[in-house]
Amino acid sequence: MAERALFAKTRFQAKESRLAYLLLLPSVACILGFMVYPLISVGLMSIFRTNRLGWLQKFAGLENYYSVMGDKEFWQITGRSILWTTLAVLSKTIFGMVIALLLNVKYFGRKIARMLFIAPWASSVPISVLLWSWVYHPQFGLLNHTLKMTGITNNPPVWLGYPLSGFIAAIWVDIWIGIPFMALVFLAGMQAIPEDLYESADMDGVNAFQKFYYITLPSIRRILQISTLLSALWTFNDFNSIYILTAGGPVNMTDILITSIYKNAFVYARFDKAAVMAIITFIILTILSSIYARHYFREEN
Amino acid sequence: MRRIRFGKHLTVLLAMIVLMGLPSMSFAAGKTETAAGAASTATLFWAGYDGVTEDYRKGLQDAFNAVDPAYQIDIVPVPWDQMKDKLTTALAGGKPPDISIIGTRWLLEYEELGQLAEPGAYVGKATIDDIFAGAKEGVVKGKLMGLPVAAGARFMAINDRIGKGVPKTMEELREMAIAANDPPNQYGLFMVGQKNTELTEFAYYLYAAGGDFFEKKADGTFGKSTVNSAAGVKALSFMNQLANEDKVVQDGYLGMTRIQGHPMFYADKIGYVMIGAWVDSAMKQAGSTFPVTYAQIPPFAGQKSTPLIITDSIAFFSGAKNLKAAGKFVDFWYQSEWKGKFDELAGFPPITKKASTLPAFNTPMYKVMSEASVNAKGWPLIATWDQCQDQIWDAVSKVYLKLATPKEALDAAAAAIDKINNIK
Amino acid sequence: MPSSVVNPAYVNRAYKKPAVAKWKNKFKPLVIFLTMVFLLIMLFPFFVMITMMLRTSQEVYITPPRWIPQAPTLKNFVLVWSQYLLAGYFKSSAIIAIGASALNMLLSIPAAYAIARLRFRGRQVSLYLFLVVQMFSPVVVVIPLFKTFARINLLDSYIGLIVLNAVFAMAFSIWLLSGYFKSIPKEIEEAAFIDGATRFQTVIKVILPISAPGLVTTFIYTFIAAWNEFLFALSFIQNQTKMPLTLGLYRFVGRWSSQWELLTTAAFLAIIPVLVLFYAIQQRLVGGLTGGAVKG
Repeated sequence: MAERALFAKTRFQAKESRLAYLLLLPSVACILGFMVYPLISVGLMSIFRTNRLGWLQKFAGLENYYSVMGDKEFWQITGRSILWTTLAVLSKTIFGMVIALLLNVKYFGRKIARMLFIAPWASSVPISVLLWSWVYHPQFGLLNHTLKMTGITNNPPVWLGYPLSGFIAAIWVDIWIGIPFMALVFLAGMQAIPEDLYESADMDGVNAFQKFYYITLPSIRRILQISTLLSALWTFNDFNSIYILTAGGPVNMTDILITSIYKNAFVYARFDKAAVMAIITFIILTILSSIYARHYFREEN
Repeated sequence: MRRIRFGKHLTVLLAMIVLMGLPSMSFAAGKTETAAGAASTATLFWAGYDGVTEDYRKGLQDAFNAVDPAYQIDIVPVPWDQMKDKLTTALAGGKPPDISIIGTRWLLEYEELGQLAEPGAYVGKATIDDIFAGAKEGVVKGKLMGLPVAAGARFMAINDRIGKGVPKTMEELREMAIAANDPPNQYGLFMVGQKNTELTEFAYYLYAAGGDFFEKKADGTFGKSTVNSAAGVKALSFMNQLANEDKVVQDGYLGMTRIQGHPMFYADKIGYVMIGAWVDSAMKQAGSTFPVTYAQIPPFAGQKSTPLIITDSIAFFSGAKNLKAAGKFVDFWYQSEWKGKFDELAGFPPITKKASTLPAFNTPMYKVMSEASVNAKGWPLIATWDQCQDQIWDAVSKVYLKLATPKEALDAAAAAIDKINNIK
Repeated sequence: MPSSVVNPAYVNRAYKKPAVAKWKNKFKPLVIFLTMVFLLIMLFPFFVMITMMLRTSQEVYITPPRWIPQAPTLKNFVLVWSQYLLAGYFKSSAIIAIGASALNMLLSIPAAYAIARLRFRGRQVSLYLFLVVQMFSPVVVVIPLFKTFARINLLDSYIGLIVLNAVFAMAFSIWLLSGYFKSIPKEIEEAAFIDGATRFQTVIKVILPISAPGLVTTFIYTFIAAWNEFLFALSFIQNQTKMPLTLGLYRFVGRWSSQWELLTTAAFLAIIPVLVLFYAIQQRLVGGLTGGAVKG
């Protein structure tokens, strides 16, 4: 019996890897087919002098890198990108988790509540952000009006007029768009937790917080890792929230890397500089992902 | 074993597809949009003008396409804010539209890149001759590279209920704005404080102070930046005085772009605003009922009135394949009643002799605009303008945020602009 | 022994009733209260949207603003539907979103299964490869992609956008699904093998039903991403009849002023299909796992 199983296993393995490559072929082919050329072209642009349409003109070596990295403002923007991503992903995770827990409780109308929570994610991002710009409007905006009406503050800020409040206003919109995704993914993860875990915990007289910490959280850890990693990648490259609300202003004090990339490419027509920043973004995100991935794979083994 | 009821699941999905498919069928029945199968279909990137309706766009397309099946047009609506992105992508990707509506100053950029075709080769002489000579601003290196679509000088609109008369100078405007100011019920003057796509506010005041953005060399090219000239500093100091010392501008001006701010005027809250041709249709849409007077943007005392004029053009792209059809379309558009209708809807004064005789253009606003256009000045035709403009916007913002004095901010901007343009 | 089905007992042993249930019963009032508070915060802009879309254009610009319109009207709905050909935009968005979700599933499920269940060289590398796509914003790659698409004649076509949206959603789908597949105890699958089921049959009849919440999440994610994609559609689509809703909505954003009452109306309509779809499908998200497999 044991020998038969062993024999079956080795034969199985050879077949297994062949099957694996076959199964992966379509998706990998798609990615390589569509992404390799763009990535190479970004790489080339970063080491060439480009014209105003991004066509390669003259080999420049690392000149573009020196000129971008020699700019003090670039480092401020990079720092702000990292701050932006950290704050936003953290908030999305916490809010998403709380909402997922709330939605995991059975009560009448839960299905409607779930549907409504999806709404911020279900609407087109540029249009949502435009709508927010109207909500933040110092005179017609219903946010400040409501703050005044309810007596929360009599002097609400001119949200988009100043660097700090503009940054807060923009990051909130990014968080607001990202929460439903997090909540949904966490909720889906919580569904996979068998109930007897909770039942036996109940018998041991464990309180709700302990149940969350010792049962729920470990059970969805994997999903938590995946979603925060992806969310970090998306948040780092979220262009609309900032660009539509403040365009990086005033005085570039709310710019992050992706808005700066956009400005350099499509407004200033400096595709070479934009490509350098894109490559630097790629390096930062690669470092982040490999830290994550190492953790992920280690746990797996 | 009993398994998941995929059947039910599938039904829901199918129902969704049908639900979404239904409206499309009704759409397909009534459509005349596609001009497929025709011999030559030109593509036009159509920038939306406020007031020019979807009905108009479609009507124009259908009307032209009915004339000759061999030449067809596809009018592709593109939002203004995304026009540059879409065009840049299409040009860089080697597949430009045949023609596009663009800001006239982009012509220079595209000409330098060798992307433009001369309209004169495709558009009839009669059409070009019918355009007022003064409107033909799209001249690059002596050749007409873009046909004007709309040209409008900026002017001042005064809410007569709030305003205190028509100012002759900027100094008078300030006094009147102070007299009219009564926050939060009404504000003296409108100001844009948040950066947006055009630098119009600073340009109004700079031109009014007799200043300019660049020194002009003998050969017509641009030299050093002159935003930090005495006139520039005067203009920015004056703006800052209005906004932060006299406080006669609307509350929260720092958080308002042009598109968000102008409605304050339509809402009967502001005495004086410097604005453009769209004001009329926008006020109608907002249901404004207050009496309004149109006047020139006043110069500073001792200076000559120099309003800002902004023109848009039609460009022909050399990389496209259906330029002949595109030329025929422009002939059709400019020589039929459609162009006059367009000007009327968009609110711009006509640029063709034919349209200018229409009675619709005999209003006080058009009179002010055509008067203004005599001395008006446009944006500097320089390829790096978008980047230069950002520097100036930053200078303005720095002053508003009290991070720098007008002189410091503009000195820094001028230095940055010279660096952008490689001028020592 | 039946050849192609799984003994429900195997499924039953590993998965009991959902975790939802009663342990939070005593907190229910608090839960409902907190849900309301969060809903109020999250839906704030939608309240603004709703009050704007019920107004005439004359009531959009008033200071101080009002929550309740004085003369509520539904004529904006008529206007956006009849004059702005919204139906055509809906059709395009539906084709793109459904196509992209379907293609995404087709590509991701085999890949995720391979990564989760099969041992082969390059497993970690391939998982990482899918992430790389997410590291470049569409803003960065739009021009080279335009060139590629122009060369293979996919500009101005639904297929181009369907493929792109599917590819851009693949990182999430594969990572999530492989995690899901992995969390399914091997014994269940082995039991099916012993029963004589083929691998394909096992996946279809055991793995996928158990992973329903993951599949639904993936589907919803891709659908929403494709439904709302803006930049690629803007850059690649020229034919008016193929423009999706995201572009259609921009028709109300002018150069000098926006038609807020129409924009909000159209934006509201654009969300409805997504919400309806989600409402219809969410049962799978929640009860898919156990409710379906056990109670049948």
